Amino acid sequence: MKMTYFASNAIHQLRNPSRTIVLIFCSIRLLQPIQAADGPSRDGKSLENAFGQVVKPFLMQNCVRCHDADKLTSGIRVDQLNAEVEDRHIRLWQDIRKQIVDKAMPPEEETQPTEAERQAVAEWIHQALETARSRPLPNNGVTRRLTVAQYRNTLRELLLLEDNMTDLLPPDAVSRDGFVNNQETLLFSPLLLEAYFEVAEESLRRCIVDSTSKPKIQNFRVELGDSINPQPFPDPLILGAGSLLLNNKDVLVKELTPNKPFDFEPFAMRTKHRFIEGYAGNDTVRGWREYDSIYHSVFACMRGTDGYPKGRAYSTVPQGLLLRPAIPSSELFQVESTYGPKANFKVSLRELPEGGLFRVRVMAAKYNDGLLLDRGDTAQSLEQPDAVLCHDLETPQTITIPRSGIYQVDVYPSGTKSTTPSKKPKEKPNDWTLSLGDREFTGALSQPAFLVLRLDAGELSLKARHPGSVSVDKVVLSSLGHDHELAKRFAVFEQRSPKLGVHLGLRRDCGSTLAPVGEPQTVSSDKLTRFVFEGAIRNFPSPDVEKDNINYLAGIREIGVRSEYTDGRDMPRLLIRSVEFEGPFYEQWPPPAHQNIFIESDQKKDSVAYAREILRAFASRAYRRPISVDEETQLMNVFEQSSAEGCNFQDSVTSALLVVLTSPQFLFLIENSESPEPERLNENELASKLSYFLWNGPPDQELMTLAANGNLSDQMQSEVGRMMDDPRFSRFVSEFASQWLALEKFSVLEPDSGRFPKLTRDTRAQLQQEPIQFLEYLIQNNLALTNLIESDFLLANEVIASFYDLADKTESGFEFVPITHNRRDLGGMLTQAAIMAGLSDGRESNPVKRGAWLARRIIAEPPDDPPPNVPTLSEETKGLSLRERIERHRNQPGCVQCHLKIDPWGVPFEEFDAGGRLKQQSVDARSTLPDKSNIAGVNDLKRYLSQDRIDQVAFSFLKHLATYATGRNLAYNELESLKGAGKSLKANGYRMQDMIRFVINSDLFLTK
Amino acid sequence: MSTFKQIDRRAFIRGVGGVALALPVLDAMGNGVTEEIPRRFCAIYTANGMSLPKSEHDINEWSWFPTAQNNSEFVFSKSTEPLSPFRKQLSFMGGLYHPSGPKSDPHQCSDMWLTGAPLHNSKPGTYNSVGLDQVVALHTKRFCRQPSLVLSIDAGTGFLSRTGTISYSLDGRPIPAENNPRRVFDRLFRVDPASLTSVRNKLQLRIKLVDAVGDSARALQQQLGKSDRERMDEYLTSLNEVESRLIASEQWIDIPLKQQDYSHLNLDVTTEGEPAEYYRNMFDLIALAFDADITRSVAFMLNREDGMGISDTFPLKLGLSHTHHTLSHAGDKEGQLQFAKYDLFLSQQLAHFLSQLAKYQDRNSSLLDNTIVMFGSGASTTHNPRNLPTLIAGGANMGLKHGTYWRNGESRMSNMYLSILQSMGIEQGSFADSTTTLSNSIFG
Repeated sequence: MKMTYFASNAIHQLRNPSRTIVLIFCSIRLLQPIQAADGPSRDGKSLENAFGQVVKPFLMQNCVRCHDADKLTSGIRVDQLNAEVEDRHIRLWQDIRKQIVDKAMPPEEETQPTEAERQAVAEWIHQALETARSRPLPNNGVTRRLTVAQYRNTLRELLLLEDNMTDLLPPDAVSRDGFVNNQETLLFSPLLLEAYFEVAEESLRRCIVDSTSKPKIQNFRVELGDSINPQPFPDPLILGAGSLLLNNKDVLVKELTPNKPFDFEPFAMRTKHRFIEGYAGNDTVRGWREYDSIYHSVFACMRGTDGYPKGRAYSTVPQGLLLRPAIPSSELFQVESTYGPKANFKVSLRELPEGGLFRVRVMAAKYNDGLLLDRGDTAQSLEQPDAVLCHDLETPQTITIPRSGIYQVDVYPSGTKSTTPSKKPKEKPNDWTLSLGDREFTGALSQPAFLVLRLDAGELSLKARHPGSVSVDKVVLSSLGHDHELAKRFAVFEQRSPKLGVHLGLRRDCGSTLAPVGEPQTVSSDKLTRFVFEGAIRNFPSPDVEKDNINYLAGIREIGVRSEYTDGRDMPRLLIRSVEFEGPFYEQWPPPAHQNIFIESDQKKDSVAYAREILRAFASRAYRRPISVDEETQLMNVFEQSSAEGCNFQDSVTSALLVVLTSPQFLFLIENSESPEPERLNENELASKLSYFLWNGPPDQELMTLAANGNLSDQMQSEVGRMMDDPRFSRFVSEFASQWLALEKFSVLEPDSGRFPKLTRDTRAQLQQEPIQFLEYLIQNNLALTNLIESDFLLANEVIASFYDLADKTESGFEFVPITHNRRDLGGMLTQAAIMAGLSDGRESNPVKRGAWLARRIIAEPPDDPPPNVPTLSEETKGLSLRERIERHRNQPGCVQCHLKIDPWGVPFEEFDAGGRLKQQSVDARSTLPDKSNIAGVNDLKRYLSQDRIDQVAFSFLKHLATYATGRNLAYNELESLKGAGKSLKANGYRMQDMIRFVINSDLFLTK
Repeated sequence: MSTFKQIDRRAFIRGVGGVALALPVLDAMGNGVTEEIPRRFCAIYTANGMSLPKSEHDINEWSWFPTAQNNSEFVFSKSTEPLSPFRKQLSFMGGLYHPSGPKSDPHQCSDMWLTGAPLHNSKPGTYNSVGLDQVVALHTKRFCRQPSLVLSIDAGTGFLSRTGTISYSLDGRPIPAENNPRRVFDRLFRVDPASLTSVRNKLQLRIKLVDAVGDSARALQQQLGKSDRERMDEYLTSLNEVESRLIASEQWIDIPLKQQDYSHLNLDVTTEGEPAEYYRNMFDLIALAFDADITRSVAFMLNREDGMGISDTFPLKLGLSHTHHTLSHAGDKEGQLQFAKYDLFLSQQLAHFLSQLAKYQDRNSSLLDNTIVMFGSGASTTHNPRNLPTLIAGGANMGLKHGTYWRNGESRMSNMYLSILQSMGIEQGSFADSTTTLSNSIFG
């Protein structure tokens, strides 16, 4: 942590006796104090007079000597202050008043003003501040640039283009309140504008096609299964270190021709290659070699299989490829042998389309699996009346299962036998493989109890195999009653369904760089089912090698297919039969993005009229309002000039579209104001304001139509309801919650993996969602604000539940569901792991960060900024614990004042460690808050906030919400109005939707 | 300005209260001398680390990092001795590393050398992050014809973890490198008219677009009534700046190249021939490009990690015992000595480059004093991502104080990169995972 983080009250620093200040006092002319009995004077004129007569001379005599523009002691100057009490000086005036009243200033060794002088000035400041706070600011409209995320959403919805080009844009700056959509921090620069030009050109290039040409479509399928390929490629294939290729006979690659309602050209993958750099094992070899086979272009490949805890990570069976959930790797070199999870199946290949959409179709099923038993599970008694015993397994046996049901299989090895070891690679010496009918189960046998599975009555073939020198004495199948503990475990197990995830990216020697294609899909049927995943190629990592690459391993793309891992609970295996790719994927030609611009029209023959129609429609959507006559004329000029220079129709229209996409009308949200008086937003402005608030994106057709007809204001309440029900509302929740709660601190956290092994990368990604999902749930159900502070439920999926030791409470996969917790350390948002760990350094808990966060974000009592010359901690503090260092720091003059407002809020959270969980050892978390309330610990703090201080929490929520909704800093009088008016929400318990609607219906939102 | 009619027209751009916007860049072009002396950057990378022999072998004098002192000055080792004439213009930098280095696969050290990217944990959808040379290029491109020059022993990009280029664009994509001296020369010094025309057309299209957008923006500004115009002014100012940059680029096309002597070049050399001859010509091309102010940012990858590419065989061609990668793994005395002798070869090449830069003159002094040259590796010895061997030369006019072997415990490479940027006058608050600049260092 940087020491500048420790704030200090600037003015108090003047007490530092080392600063010797000599004030030369002139004789003081006594002034009449303003009589409080006269009542508060709000008359600007009288305030101004009094400033000249009383305040200014006071400041000049007592303060300016140290606090002028040159000396700026403690970063404070007062010489420029005037009777206006501008908004930007309000805080300073507050501080000055406090210094004067507390007699903290001038420093003790200086000549002191009289009590009457102090009173007079303090009273003047009080009145002036009152006046300033009630003063309405001139309303001159708002012009703010779209944030990067808003621009991305806007461009996508305007162009129907999934390709994300915004990685060319520099990120937005963060405002004091933590938001990126603040008008004042959304700066503009030549660099940014150049990027907008690039993005506009590139985006239109991707939308607009030559509709007379035929598209090229790549379509192929990789089929998987034991011996599925009748004519396997004869040569052994190698794909560098750590890549385990499936046997050639178990993989069949077919190039396909899709059915399309338009003409196209099938893209045939290149099969002839010539490389000089290749691999033999992990060694580089040089020498030109020629290759000619599709099997040198498309590979079926596994990664990360060593040390799977239970059973084998993957295996090939006649029906396809079986995968266990892919355990995330620690992503640390030499901690694990490869990057990427185990077991990770990938189709590795040399060519994919450069752009456009793609679809991956996976034929998959849930395997009719058995539950491999854990170490310590016991075998069934051999005396069971209906147990099926089977000896002599040198050859396959057929046994008869008396009735359908759940069976336990116990395997009893006997002494040694001399068989040749299996040729299957990577088989652990202790692995047994048991075949029952057409099903196969492999695992370590540490005891006879091996497997539980469901069997049908009737005949069943049985085979047992062991690679080592052990043979089977007998296999026993015992029927389990459904109240048997193992039968119950199995029943839960067989209800579970694997989650199929598809990823796209590139191969690296040390693993893969893959990004997920959409969300994982649940595979709940044991019948093969087709699952479709769609994405835009541009949004995935690509290897970017040159066309004439000479390295066999360079430029390999990957389509990853996995059973996704939640928390390691036993899960039936995922069966993959085939993986098919099609791209660019078109349902029609020209594609919708093209037709969306070159709209259907009966004016197509008249190029000028058609161009006008296109440009008017496009620009009106882009500008989120009807375009003006001037704007239309200018765009037509661009079109006509381009045509005159010999460009064809499409290119000439494109020139004008480029102007639209780079004009301020598109890039800015504009609320146009005619006068400094407050004016109502017009209908189009209202549509945009609502949609960029609630959707972080552009208004949809319905909003635009309502606005065009002048009906939006009237129907605003129902529209807000519709917008909150729309999936796009999640964008608001995610954007707002992340910025309000400073969740990016958690995303950049580097936790000590030794101390917090559960905070893996994947778990952290889920934990970061927890506050967002929680807030969304509160809003969607219009629950009371107190739930933010304390709640008897949490929102969790299997990953989160497992992190909090509640794994048995849910079977929801990756879906967040409410769970009642009955635990003292859970509930509410404040102590969620993303917050507690995010406000640490990944090693030690940090009460200062937590305290400052709570003061700023939750109760909106922000500590002052640290003064410019905060003393850093001296060297001798090295070696002290964080807590000791903080204490030592806090005790320094110049620091203590602010820390009194920060640290007490953070101390109760000391019960939580830097990984976001309750500490094991007991902690002294008692604290005395700035208002002198004594707090016994974190739960007492929660009680205090949700009961005694809920108005303040509500104010903070409203303040942050309104700041985000308007995209600007709020004026004092607006904050004051929120404080007062917000209390009308209290009767109903400060419900979340009510508060959102309250902001939307307030003048600060609706006027400009 | 009277010689540039077109510029006159555009240099005083309408709007923004009619304030005239001068175009200093174009002034400079007219005279062939810039008002501001060029500030240049050149990154030179060697893979697989340097020889830092084990002490028990008793050949410390072959350690790439200085191990001895004489009159409080470091002593050049036998492998860096060719650089000794430049003692006052270079410094060895010790203790530098990328914090992401030890976490990542060590073969990625060249990928991250100029970027500092967390390649062990890259964001989904990303590849790498921007390299130092491209940040420099972003800020210097408006002064010269080419934003940057990206060279490597092997053409192209290689692939992630075995990269063939050390240069990564603003969005973190690899920039293909060139390796053929003749092609580089033809592209930079013998520009063919056809490609010029296509460049000019593209620029002119963009200028027209900017013009039209300006019209559109001004039309909007007139509608804006009493609204706060600050943001619109920012927009229009940016637009003017973009326009002037475009016009500057267009003007370059017509400005003749500086007259230079190319007679020492042998453009027939290839990577298949004599290594020294190849490197000498590539370095000569860089020096010429700097001298003619064709570019101010160069990245040159001398060889590649893990036995990739032709350069792996160079030590054999020089009569050493093994390939580059194998030598780098040597732990025995003879192997480490052989590896050090390859360091010596590289030092000779670098010394030649520095002497070329010292020979050419800017208006105020030699090119070397106006160029920050960074030479180093992403590994100290092979697969060791700490204490990266790094040498900084030149840049005296940018405030660099040379002649030392600088160390301050462990320091982030990114902090030094930030220092380099700031020395070049590029105001940037941070670079990659930088925390601050390199304090108390050669950067003042």
